[in-house]
Amino acid sequence: MDENVVVQQSIRPSSHEVHEEYNDFSPEYNMMIDDEAAGAGAGGEDLKGMRLIHLLMAAAEAMAGASKCRELARVILVRLKELVSPSDGTNMERLAAYFTDALQALLDGAAAGGHGKQALGGHYKEEHHQTDALAAFQLLQDMSPYVKFGHFTANQAILEAVTHDRRVHIVDYDIMEGIQWASLMQALVSRKDGPPTPHLRITAVSRSGSGSGRRSFGTIQETGRRLTAFAASLGQPFSFHQCKLDADEAFRPSSLKLVRGEALIVNCMLHLPHFSYRAPDSISSFLSGAKTLNPRLITLVEEEMGPPSDGGFVGRFIDTLHHYSAVYDSLEAGFPMQSRARALVERVFLGPRITGSLARIYRAREEAGEGYSWGQWLGAVGLRPISISFANHCQAKLLLGLYNDGYSVEELTSNKLVLGWKSRRLLSASIWTSQDGDL
Amino acid sequence: MFHPKKPSSMNSHERPMCVQGDSGLVLTTDPKPRLRWTVELHERFVDAVTQLGGPDKATPKTIMRVMGVKGLTLYHLKSHLQKFRLGKQPHKDFNDHSMKDASSLELQRNSASSSGIMGRSMNDGNNVHITDAIRMQMEVNRRLHEQLEVQRHLQLRIEAHGKYMQTILEKACQTVLAGENIAAASGSYNKVVGPDISGMKEFGPAINFPSLQDLNIYGSSDHLELHHQNMERSSMEAFMPTTDNFLGKKRSANPYNNSNNNSGKSPLIWADDLRLQELGTAANGSCLDDQIGPLSIDRGSDIDSVSDIYETKPILSGDHSIGDKKFDASSKLDRNSPPRRTAAISAGGMQQGRSSPFG
Repeated sequence: MDENVVVQQSIRPSSHEVHEEYNDFSPEYNMMIDDEAAGAGAGGEDLKGMRLIHLLMAAAEAMAGASKCRELARVILVRLKELVSPSDGTNMERLAAYFTDALQALLDGAAAGGHGKQALGGHYKEEHHQTDALAAFQLLQDMSPYVKFGHFTANQAILEAVTHDRRVHIVDYDIMEGIQWASLMQALVSRKDGPPTPHLRITAVSRSGSGSGRRSFGTIQETGRRLTAFAASLGQPFSFHQCKLDADEAFRPSSLKLVRGEALIVNCMLHLPHFSYRAPDSISSFLSGAKTLNPRLITLVEEEMGPPSDGGFVGRFIDTLHHYSAVYDSLEAGFPMQSRARALVERVFLGPRITGSLARIYRAREEAGEGYSWGQWLGAVGLRPISISFANHCQAKLLLGLYNDGYSVEELTSNKLVLGWKSRRLLSASIWTSQDGDL
Repeated sequence: MFHPKKPSSMNSHERPMCVQGDSGLVLTTDPKPRLRWTVELHERFVDAVTQLGGPDKATPKTIMRVMGVKGLTLYHLKSHLQKFRLGKQPHKDFNDHSMKDASSLELQRNSASSSGIMGRSMNDGNNVHITDAIRMQMEVNRRLHEQLEVQRHLQLRIEAHGKYMQTILEKACQTVLAGENIAAASGSYNKVVGPDISGMKEFGPAINFPSLQDLNIYGSSDHLELHHQNMERSSMEAFMPTTDNFLGKKRSANPYNNSNNNSGKSPLIWADDLRLQELGTAANGSCLDDQIGPLSIDRGSDIDSVSDIYETKPILSGDHSIGDKKFDASSKLDRNSPPRRTAAISAGGMQQGRSSPFG
């Protein structure tokens, strides 16, 4: 791997700080490529993976920084496209394909005069057949602990926060298919201590647009019907409401119907692999609006990216590349033989996420203030962390035990559990309150 | 892992010690280095033992793997485990608040942590130590119990999660089916509508249930990692053949096709009815008269009636055990549908029951 080290030095001129925390392990380029080489069993793959990373970084550098050489970037991307395909090849090749597409979209968007926003819009249309999305969703859940980790950790915290309540109201920022609430209902109806099964009310936040996507009004209504039927089958008293965002996706707390005596929970699932992009403005308006309602508990699940870097676009580009290579790696380790299944998950969920992530960091080089985690944001606006319980930590560990080796759970701070893959932190669940005193 | 690290007490050095850099192990500088069991290290040890099912089930080897502390050898663990089993171990602070009374802390400090003293105290047969041993056992038991509880709950939650996923998939099946029926009505039987969702259904239970059974086994399993590997293998075996089906499946394998053709009703009407029912306008005769309504109904139009329905109380009550109950969307549909529809719908319901893992 001597050769890699040489290349590495030549391709990371400005981002040493970003990756210091990984120096204990082998640098992740090497890890990534080692794994690829092991998987492919051919020395050539190793070189090709290195070459792809090199090309991607060259393209990213050409697009950002002082040089801003769009033509060069364009040429590099053309070359990359010859080398990769999103549906064939090794993990690294498929990953490189999505990064190539994402860079291309940014380049086209920037050329059109925007800040990559067009690209963002274009790629967030729900283009997939609905059954594709469902199949991929099912596969994702079976292949990896991401979804259940986020949902179960949040739910356990909710259960602990409402032990003695008769009425529970959950405001859910992004309800999707509503699968998070199935296990919560099950737990509520079977709880032993406290009063009998509390009444559960869920208000789903929905976009005001009429679109046909997975988060449109109609889809959320369907989710409501499904949840209602499921609650009925368990004997869980339940009601369902929607709360529309404004046209600019801003959240108005006054649009919520609140009932005195309800324990108010705010649930904010961001960045689970199957969730798609939500604008930071919308998220911050939701969280700050939610704070004014003085909720008993705020549950937050978000991806863990490296610390905001001084490396600018290129540094964060590398970080994103690492992040998703770890995700790809973890999925491959879960189901080494099922490359077609993985390709579906990648196409439906990860590809769009990569595009979104890159668009965000590309814009963020001009907009200050982005890049820190929402957890930090919550702390900064004065919310109080709540400790993760032993049972919750234990549950996460047991859950990961059901999946392949390589995943880990880490209590990063007292109110935050982090799901990791090998040396990389991927996803965190943290819990907060705006109320004083103990629950 | 479960506990915040605490600074280990390093004040009483009887012989030269050295701290081993990365792992934080404290070893004597003797030619034959002996390990110093700091409070922190002991906590990790107890955690590992708990995880492995208690002192009688844990072995030095498995503990070493679970603890994952560099430099810790089987030799160290063997003797420590032995003492632990005998209940003569002087440390008893388990980071449990109830245990943190002054006397136990005091005792811990006095009995120091060098293995020499540990050896002496083993021969004392001191009553205090026996009491401590019992407390320690109780503590381990309490943790084990809590872990088992968590495990039991987790299993139920995974089941509920899986059931709910089924309802999503079934709905998707119906939607795809509706699409196929339209295709059938227009004479183009061979048209394939999207990837085959019925394959996905089979794939669902195949992957979910092995892991659930394994979770059961897990409850009595004394070895976390061994079990883990077993689980992985069995779920992989279950998964692989079915996924191949899923991905390579032909439309002809769809179990729904036959039932539709045998039901004696036009598949088109059947599908349409279901859709109307699900749109929340059930029990509304005027809607049902419109048998061959357009499939794509504007869903925004029935918001009000739906929100009324959401306020209704659950239909089922009483037994709260999720395992005994079946969640069958079609039975609810039956309740609301006029008699003349029942036959067609329950035909669909039966079919569902056969392929549903919890029917």
